[in-house]
Amino acid sequence: MGRNVCVVGVGLSDGPVTPDLSPSQLIAQSFRRALDDAGLATRDIEGLASAGYGGMHEVAVAEYLGLQPHWLDSTSCGGSSFEFHAHHAFRAIEAGDVDTIAIVYGNNQLSASGRTLGTGGGGGRGGMQPPGPMKYEFPTGMTLVGAYAMAAQRHMHEFGTTAEQLASISVQTREHAHRNAGAMYRDLITVDDVLSSRLVADPLHKLDCCVISDGGCAIILTTEERARALAHRPVFVRGGAGGTTHHSIQAMGDMTHTAAAVSGPKAFAEAGIRPSDVDVFCAYDSFTYTVLVTLEDLGFVPKGEGGPFVADGSLRLGGALPTNPDGGGLSNTHPGMRGLYLLCEATRQLRGDAGDSQVEGAEIAVCNGSGGWLSTQGTVVLGTEPR
Amino acid sequence: MTWAETPKWVVPHPNAEDREFWEGARRGELRIQRCSTCGLHQHYPRYLCSHCGADTVAFVTASGNGTVYSFTVIRQNGVPPFNERVPFVIATVDLDEPGARILAAMPTLDPSAARIGMRVQATFRPANDELGFVDFESAE
Ligand SMILES: [Zn+2]
Repeated sequence: MGRNVCVVGVGLSDGPVTPDLSPSQLIAQSFRRALDDAGLATRDIEGLASAGYGGMHEVAVAEYLGLQPHWLDSTSCGGSSFEFHAHHAFRAIEAGDVDTIAIVYGNNQLSASGRTLGTGGGGGRGGMQPPGPMKYEFPTGMTLVGAYAMAAQRHMHEFGTTAEQLASISVQTREHAHRNAGAMYRDLITVDDVLSSRLVADPLHKLDCCVISDGGCAIILTTEERARALAHRPVFVRGGAGGTTHHSIQAMGDMTHTAAAVSGPKAFAEAGIRPSDVDVFCAYDSFTYTVLVTLEDLGFVPKGEGGPFVADGSLRLGGALPTNPDGGGLSNTHPGMRGLYLLCEATRQLRGDAGDSQVEGAEIAVCNGSGGWLSTQGTVVLGTEPR
Repeated sequence: MTWAETPKWVVPHPNAEDREFWEGARRGELRIQRCSTCGLHQHYPRYLCSHCGADTVAFVTASGNGTVYSFTVIRQNGVPPFNERVPFVIATVDLDEPGARILAAMPTLDPSAARIGMRVQATFRPANDELGFVDFESAE
């Protein structure tokens, strides 16, 4: 085992609606705030990871930020990209290849593209002649929301999961957003509110779907040795792993199991923890079903029992597994991809800096990013102590 | 715009590998690949068998019969012409030929009648004079 690795800086841009800021500006604003949070300078950043849109994205970002990194990671697997980045950064710092790495993301998804991501051709489905296997799904009229809906439908069929149980995930997440002054939607909602919102793709209603926002996020990782000299209590990366099962939903195979069943156990084993040790779960919540299926795959609850578990209020602050205390993608912010926000929120929680959203005494947090159409899963375990 | 009409931006751009699938659909045939090494099938066309990795795949004509693995009802799609077709059912269908699953629209199925496990059969819809789409309808 090599050097211990810590998250030492986190930054969020303005948000959730920033029509006057470009994606590059959102990245730069959150990066600047993460540097300030860490007490570091631009010259301290030796490595950069990012995922975005277009060729050599991360190289353009480096130039824009005034960086000349000797370590780069451009893994681009949708919303889970940033958990892959954190895992790779952890490994590179642990091994001694590099000391200090920034992971950044920013997008003006809402201001530039409106709410087209899920059903308007902005999400790789329903767009114009998409590449790869989407070529076969586009002419059917399939949507991004439809892919998740199809998987949720199968889970309901196999395990008796109900629309009410899925809705309860949105309800609890909204309770968290209610405490977060920066969240996009803060008014409390009920299960009936979710079920009476319009169906977008059966069985998913509008309020089963994440928000579309603008926003940028950045985190900075470095060695424990450097972290000890900085302002904040270090938050340790204890383990990480990734997994992939498919790209297009027709190739998913068993739609009730994701690659989190692979990445979760590997990450937990490296971190030396069990699911019962986890104090905070930062779940990718593109849709309510994303939370349900990854809760099961990560082993927080046996397969098929996610529905009763969430309906029991387990995701609340003070519940069995406080989940997305910042209000998640379902209510807080989701600028196209959200994986980096999970790492940011987990760090705030483990520092004890989360204010009204704080999970008291949190020592272990798990971030699970999901990309594509449940296609890729990245799991990262953070803790207040090293492995 | 109804299902009978296909705007030009929805017409596939075939390549050497997948042209047989689209042209087969125009002729009324569901063309999938069968691997002679493992005996399993796959949709869509690829160079290697996605089950065993062998390069021994060849086109065969599927029976067109299958079973719905899962489905959704698309009620919102902002892209023309689909915005005028909602609501409609899209299903993932496990074909009777082992190993092959296909995602397809079920334009004639009443959304309230869709269910997992229903037996379905392929139907075919022209995209233009040369190319076509595979849809499914209830076989029950
Ligand atoms: Zn084979």
